[in-house]
Amino acid sequence: MSRTRTAEETKTAMHIVVAEMYDRIVKGEPPTMTLPVRTKTNIGFDKKLGVYKYGKKQSVRDATSLGSAKQLLRTLHVVEFIEEMLDAGKSSTLREMYYISEGWGMGKFGSQNDSNNLAEDLEIVTKCLREDFKLRPEEDGARMIGNLTLRERNRRGEWMRINARDDVGDSGYGVPYNVELEKIELLEHDIDFIMAIETGGMFDRLIENGFDEEYRCGLLHLKGQPARSTRRIMKRMSEEWDLPVVVFLDGDPWSFRIFASIAYGAIKTAHISEYLATPSATYLGITADDIVAYELPSDELSKKDVEALNAELTDPRFADSWWQEQINMMLELGMKAEQQSLAKYGLDFVTETYLPEKLAELGLA
Amino acid sequence: MTGIAQKLASNQKQVAISEFFEKNKHFLGFDSLARSLITAVKEAVDNALDACEEARILPTIRIQVTKVDAQKDIIRMVVEDNGPGIPQKSIEKVFGQLLFGSRFHAIRQSRGQQGIGITGVVMYCQLTTGRTTHVRSKIATEPTAAFVDIGLDTRKNKATKANAGREIWYNEDGTGKEHGTEVTAEMKAKYQKGRQSVWQYLRMTSIVNPHAEIIFTDPDGEKHHWTRVTERLPTKVESIKPHPHGIELGQLQRMVAESNDLNVNHFLLNNFSGVTNRARKELCEAAEIAGTRKIKTVKGDDIRALLEAFQGERLFNGLPVKLLKPPTNCLSPIEELLIKKGLSKTIDSRFVSTLTRVPSVTQGNPFQIEVGLIFGGAMAGDKPVEILRFANRVPLMYQQGGCLLTKAIESVDWRQYGLDQAGGRGVPKGPAAILVHLASTNVQFTSEAKEALADNAEVMEEGRKAMLEVGRGLRKHLEKKKKMAKTKEKFELINDILPAIAKKSAEILDRPVPELSGSITKIMSAVISETTTEWNKQTKQTDVEIVLFNYTSRVRAYTILATWPEKSGAVMENNETGGRKEALGVWAWKLESLQPGEKKTIAYSLGGLERGDWTETEVLFRGTQDVIGATKMDEKFLLEIRRQEQILIESGVDSPQDEAEPEAEEKKVSKEPVEENVEPAVAPPEGQRTLFGGEV
Repeated sequence: MSRTRTAEETKTAMHIVVAEMYDRIVKGEPPTMTLPVRTKTNIGFDKKLGVYKYGKKQSVRDATSLGSAKQLLRTLHVVEFIEEMLDAGKSSTLREMYYISEGWGMGKFGSQNDSNNLAEDLEIVTKCLREDFKLRPEEDGARMIGNLTLRERNRRGEWMRINARDDVGDSGYGVPYNVELEKIELLEHDIDFIMAIETGGMFDRLIENGFDEEYRCGLLHLKGQPARSTRRIMKRMSEEWDLPVVVFLDGDPWSFRIFASIAYGAIKTAHISEYLATPSATYLGITADDIVAYELPSDELSKKDVEALNAELTDPRFADSWWQEQINMMLELGMKAEQQSLAKYGLDFVTETYLPEKLAELGLA
Repeated sequence: MTGIAQKLASNQKQVAISEFFEKNKHFLGFDSLARSLITAVKEAVDNALDACEEARILPTIRIQVTKVDAQKDIIRMVVEDNGPGIPQKSIEKVFGQLLFGSRFHAIRQSRGQQGIGITGVVMYCQLTTGRTTHVRSKIATEPTAAFVDIGLDTRKNKATKANAGREIWYNEDGTGKEHGTEVTAEMKAKYQKGRQSVWQYLRMTSIVNPHAEIIFTDPDGEKHHWTRVTERLPTKVESIKPHPHGIELGQLQRMVAESNDLNVNHFLLNNFSGVTNRARKELCEAAEIAGTRKIKTVKGDDIRALLEAFQGERLFNGLPVKLLKPPTNCLSPIEELLIKKGLSKTIDSRFVSTLTRVPSVTQGNPFQIEVGLIFGGAMAGDKPVEILRFANRVPLMYQQGGCLLTKAIESVDWRQYGLDQAGGRGVPKGPAAILVHLASTNVQFTSEAKEALADNAEVMEEGRKAMLEVGRGLRKHLEKKKKMAKTKEKFELINDILPAIAKKSAEILDRPVPELSGSITKIMSAVISETTTEWNKQTKQTDVEIVLFNYTSRVRAYTILATWPEKSGAVMENNETGGRKEALGVWAWKLESLQPGEKKTIAYSLGGLERGDWTETEVLFRGTQDVIGATKMDEKFLLEIRRQEQILIESGVDSPQDEAEPEAEEKKVSKEPVEENVEPAVAPPEGQRTLFGGEV
């Protein structure tokens, strides 16, 4: 199922972008780069794929202002850099590329954010993945614990068989940045579902309480907004093993966004939603109802929280009635609650009462 | 001024000088120990500057202040100049006589209108330390210098001298001094630093006397050197007779009493400016005094009547008697370029705008306002701007808040010109300093302390107008800076980035590097001008180059205008593009067609200037398409220039002696306020009828 492209395919895709600039100059026009608009106003549900993808809105980056012109020049430098890596069989991190750009003179990056965004831009217009570009992220992969077995090719090129319950310590199995087939194979499992958890504290609580064994599940620590590889491995496990995925997050507007990026696709990576999103994922909690039903200790929504909730009301990914209800309810309550507020009823409440009740609703317990 | 003069000159009361001094030291400038030192330095330096100016010598003045006895606050001041020197027998007069210098009678702009002169210093030293003042002076025609210790006999109001002699005067380098004067005085005083200090006084003096070199050694032995930035001495000023509008009763009484004139007619014609033959007749009629009356017989009520006629309270034919304006050649403004140089050498900055208004008249006294605004550089951005006030080139260092010149600054909403100002009132904040100079034959102070100018509507209005103009200059400068940054970006885009994009994309695709001109036109889509103003060391000229690029796809036509310092005597040379004079200090070139992609250059040199005189040329344009790097011509700006030019031309032919009856008659008939000084050069014969048939 890998969509990895060969070096030649990648180069050809990049040359289309370069040719757009070149041809415009030949025609006596300012060089341009055309790319989709990357905001929520330009994402739509792809029925065939079951995820949200960029729509048809295009924006044109043209060299009529110094900033845009520099961005085009940087793009060319990045293309050249990638070609060099492809030819040499090397790879680099995005941060390394940022530092390498110091030598690009007028084409150097202003900040690391610049270089990250540009790499994404290139992915989008070439429909390649950054793995094709031989660019690695800095971001931290997730931790996983549970009775599941996979094979990872280590840095010496040898395949290692790892059981994420028996072969790991308390911190679990660390998910690498590349989880494609050439790096990881999913072998077997003896679990009923996968639970993705927002905070490290809750992840450790469930492990300490032996929740993974008792409820036959794989636990996955998201570490906030999940990295691409985290989302990708969830997607693979869900599809290849046909396992349900439940998502257990804080009860606030930012957690809603995390869930949307897991289930429907993130706005920033909507070009590859079909590879990253797990449409079958379910939001387990904390819901706005939970705050009321469990009388959870809660905090008042900040101005930013309210703004975020209002923005979500018009986000196509939250357009269904269940989400609209939850968002509106939270706005009415004016309150949000953390996962760990469940500790109000004792350390075991989450594993003995809350989660079993919530999972029962889904028929998983 | 006249107040003290009268008090002191009056023989009616025999007041002991020391007592008088003690009672009045607050307005003589000796009210505190710190101020006493400043006053002493000020009197000595003023004398030096005046003497050099009169003798047309470029002044070099050395000032040294040392602490003799720190516990008793005894300070020694030495001021040495390279002036013409004082003949031996005159030394005691200059240093020992109170208030009888000629400048107290002459009506002209002079420094010495303040304080009571160097004699006050001699007296202060004597009263506070018991010491005499040592003077050494050499004139060029004598081989040796004269020296003497001057004191004051305070009961007889007379100078005492001791230890007189002659010696050879050597300079520091061992050469013989040609001419000059040196004053050494010891007094009870305190040396301070900061806004009100000897240093600040000298710094300010240096700004308005750019022709002077001033070297100051402070009590810590540190040397402060303000260099000479121009070889041009201030223009020599003429004294003028008093104008009837500016006369007070006491003064008129004195003039009548001291007059040697035959009769009233002669008295009026000989002793006043602005009194024409016609005005003389009308004044006599209005005052109901026969012009042929012997002046000795004019007393009490007659003098009062004459004054009322002067002031328009007594009428002639139902109207106040029209008088000519006093001449303005008695004023010596510092002038725009020199203020600029003075400011630039003293304060580190990015921008200086200066303005000398044309002379004006208030209450019979000619006056002229000059303003300088200096911006940017190392000045603090969050503090009130530094205000540098001057009256007749003398720094005003105290009572800033109560001064008319400060009020003129405060009356302007500086926010529109790019400075911070809470509520648009008060002293603005920002990295700037504002200089205001009032040149006048009669500076009116709020008090005898002579540190703050008294309110006067006309002076205020002139000051305000000048501020607005330099403010506009600042705003333009700031706008230009912004535009230039934008233009610079565009040039970087087409000169550096675009070629790099073309080259790199060609390399990646392995194709030839494409031609860029089409893309450049589309990207710039504007007409751009770049101006450089640079001093040329070889030719000693200021070279100006204005380059226009048409980066649009159409043919463009413009009139390009540039400012140049014509008023300051600059000459335009090597102007091969020709053009014509648009107004005073504004030259214009017509560019009939500027083809797409075409670049045209206007280049010329300005002669008759010194280095640093002219560093920024303002480029304006007339035409439809905007020119980046130039300002669209505001025709109002031209009108104002032409108006000022007109006044200058008119004041050039102005002369009080020229009778101008038809003009005056015409004014009476039309009853319209017409500028007084619009005078034909030659007076028509008496009895001629005017065009309006009015009787002369």
